[in-house]
Amino acid sequence: MKKIVSVLFLFFALQAISFGQQPDKSVSKEVQLQVKNYTFKADRKNISPVDHSKFAILQQNFKRPQDITLACLSCHTERHSEVMVNNHFTWDRQEEILNHGSISVGKKNILNNFCVGIGSNEAMCSKCHAGYGWVDTTFNHHAKENIDCLVCHDKTGTYTKGSGGMPTPQTDLNLVAQNVGLSTSENCGSCHFVGGGGNNVKHGDLDKAMLKADRNLDVHMAMEGENMSCTECHITTNHNITGKLYALSSENKDRVSCEQCHTQSPHQRNVLNKHTDRIACQTCHIPTYAKANPTKTWWDWSTAGKLDENGKIIEIKDSIGDIVYFSKKGNFKWGHNIEPEYRWFNGLAGHFLITDKIDTIPVQLNTLDGFYGDKGSLRASLEPSKIWPVKIMRGKQPYDTEYNTLLQPKVVGPKGSGAFWADFDWAKSLEKGTEYINQPFSGKFGFVETEMYWPLNHQVAPADQALTCTDCHVRGEKSRLSQLDGFYMPGRDHYYWVDYIGIILVISTFLGVVIHGGLRVFFSKNSEH
Amino acid sequence: MKIYIYQVFERFWHWTQALLIGFLALTGFEIHSSYTLLGYDKAVQYHDIAAWSFLVLLIFSFFWHFTTGEWRQYKPTLKLLIAQIEYYILGIFKGAEHPTKKLIYNKFNPLQRLIYLGLNLLVIPVMGISGFAFMFLNYPNTTLELNGLDIVALIHTIGAFSLITFVIIHVYLTTTGHKPLSAILAMLTGWEEVDEKSARAMVANEMEVALKITKAHLKTDENEKELLDEALEETETILGIKKEEKFHNVIANSGAGYFRINKLGYYGAVNAAWLRIYKYDSPEEIIGKHFSLSRSKEDFAELEGSFKRVLEGETIPHGEVRRICKDGSCGFHTVTMTPVVMNGQIIGVEGFILDTTVRRLAEKELLENKILMEELLKKKKD
Repeated sequence: MKKIVSVLFLFFALQAISFGQQPDKSVSKEVQLQVKNYTFKADRKNISPVDHSKFAILQQNFKRPQDITLACLSCHTERHSEVMVNNHFTWDRQEEILNHGSISVGKKNILNNFCVGIGSNEAMCSKCHAGYGWVDTTFNHHAKENIDCLVCHDKTGTYTKGSGGMPTPQTDLNLVAQNVGLSTSENCGSCHFVGGGGNNVKHGDLDKAMLKADRNLDVHMAMEGENMSCTECHITTNHNITGKLYALSSENKDRVSCEQCHTQSPHQRNVLNKHTDRIACQTCHIPTYAKANPTKTWWDWSTAGKLDENGKIIEIKDSIGDIVYFSKKGNFKWGHNIEPEYRWFNGLAGHFLITDKIDTIPVQLNTLDGFYGDKGSLRASLEPSKIWPVKIMRGKQPYDTEYNTLLQPKVVGPKGSGAFWADFDWAKSLEKGTEYINQPFSGKFGFVETEMYWPLNHQVAPADQALTCTDCHVRGEKSRLSQLDGFYMPGRDHYYWVDYIGIILVISTFLGVVIHGGLRVFFSKNSEH
Repeated sequence: MKIYIYQVFERFWHWTQALLIGFLALTGFEIHSSYTLLGYDKAVQYHDIAAWSFLVLLIFSFFWHFTTGEWRQYKPTLKLLIAQIEYYILGIFKGAEHPTKKLIYNKFNPLQRLIYLGLNLLVIPVMGISGFAFMFLNYPNTTLELNGLDIVALIHTIGAFSLITFVIIHVYLTTTGHKPLSAILAMLTGWEEVDEKSARAMVANEMEVALKITKAHLKTDENEKELLDEALEETETILGIKKEEKFHNVIANSGAGYFRINKLGYYGAVNAAWLRIYKYDSPEEIIGKHFSLSRSKEDFAELEGSFKRVLEGETIPHGEVRRICKDGSCGFHTVTMTPVVMNGQIIGVEGFILDTTVRRLAEKELLENKILMEELLKKKKD
């Protein structure tokens, strides 16, 4: 018996000791990595295999950018066939959309709650089109010379695009043509950082600051760290770039994921690895977004169009320099270092099409599919819904009060064309815009609140800044997941009635024994006398 | 008086379990967000480790209870249950006696049996199962998956509050023993301080049982079990306790020594336990010797008086006596002497001895047993 007891004692004693010796795992050490086709910084040899300035065909005096494209294709034959099906060029994809079936969607025909839509505004929007000359519906998507190679392959950093996607006049086409190479973050960022009309405006997690990132802004792109570029995650083969934007791409394919390098179980502690079953990596590792520069969170078109007494455009800034009113665009709200909102998401998205009737307010411009009970077998994605951090862009935009549809305004154009930014007349702007895309318009319009979801993926924080247990496992509003319901989460949830009854039980039991004990003392003293 | 009631493992089990329950409650309610103490991360980590430790302890205690037969202590009984409840509600204030007696073979009162059984069969398993379900039966467990933690969390929380309530009442009721701290000290040391009456009952119980068994071992022609039942029934009648399952092995190994002395005072038979107590190696060394051999002069004079009374037909539980062992060392034991009757004639004295050396060293008050046992005998005769 004594032996058994001493063995038992030893067992528990060892456990007790091991309590004290748990290594501090809050600081993650070497994580398990499964990198594919990735060259670590230490192994990178920045030697270009080709010097394009030595090719005679690139030494000609280019007048038109289209001629550069043709020159590229004279060596890189057939590459145009890859680009011409890429949505950077088509702004269109055939996608299976929830509740809509297989349809053709993209920037070409989807509305958002920033600049609303490209219809009749192409000349402006195509500044970010990988092509030349898209100003209206006559643009030829099948002419290979209309491809813009340079926007993605310029190495000089001097290439800038203007109206219709044409290079600005001051661009030295010869210099750019002779200095091309693999795409860098600068190339991607020239469009993706400035979506919505300015740096970091649209995404909130794509910002020029990432080009000179420190560890706190982005562990992957940090200059003192691995200094990764976009394409190291967005692996590209034959001009097919992985990592579609969730806000516009409904099908769960060609995505980029953290797991492609970090695996499903990158943590040392099992309890954390188990969290990855239902929680996206981004949820904990992107604790805030818009870290370096503000992002737009609210855009109210309904107030746009006010001019000062001289008929001039008004611009109002708040105390920290963010524009809160601009006559062309209306009222704005901005966010700095924002805590994301969280939603269940299984990788599939739905879209509000220009033909859809408004049935909820705020109108959901895109819906992230997913819920707690979705463990992957219910949907085509076959992946369980996970909790994702999202930027939710909110605002007010024009709609047809009669037909109950969102409306396409014309915003860009010369004075008298009906363009809102020139004439400041909503009725005309909407009439021209809808006419351009053949949308029925009753002539009666109002402004309706809309919401659009932008899942966050970038600007991953260092591990020690990741969320901790009590960011979510805490009662009430303090929990970042307080908005998610339909499931029980320890620490956040409790049954009020169980707790109340339990506490009353414990307190009354305690009082009961105190009274009982008191009576015993009382009676025993009495009997002594 | 003190009696040895809780064995080493029992005490280890009890206190480890107490610590674990306390620690699980402490960390558990932090995980429940009732307060912040260790930090959520550590609370979860420690709660899990404590849960696994509890499981290991449960496995050990399971084996202990079944190999020792101690599980029988938890068999529920309705007899005296009401009396026990009435005692806590009313009797305790009037200074009434506990309606049941604590015995080695019957440690728990009917209410304790019921509560502890509920604890061991219901609350602890339910807490364990719901707790491990919390840990394992979630997505993507493919064999069995709970669709959410709501039910297990509900059960686990209700269980936690029940346990806290139990602990409060349990700790309080430990103060209702002989003295306020005697029950807690007993669980710490194994020795419980009891009132004289309880002690007397205990000793009588031990003696009766051991005597019958020893007799049975020597008289192989009689059915041992029947004798045992008879002895226990007798004891139980005297003590007013419920008829109990017999712990044959426990009693058989209790170390009672048996002896038979003829009319003239010479040893006729002794058993192995007797030899062990007196430190002899074989029966040959003592059979045929006079019993004065193992006594001091004063002790012998006193014992001889009793011996003569037994020869006249009395049964005497002598209480504690001092012996001189083979090697000259001293020891103490209780002795009970009854006449040996053959064909209507008393031909000698037989009896049994229970070694009390250890107990005596621990508790000198045992000398008073002598008086107590005589009182008991008188009562029995009446």
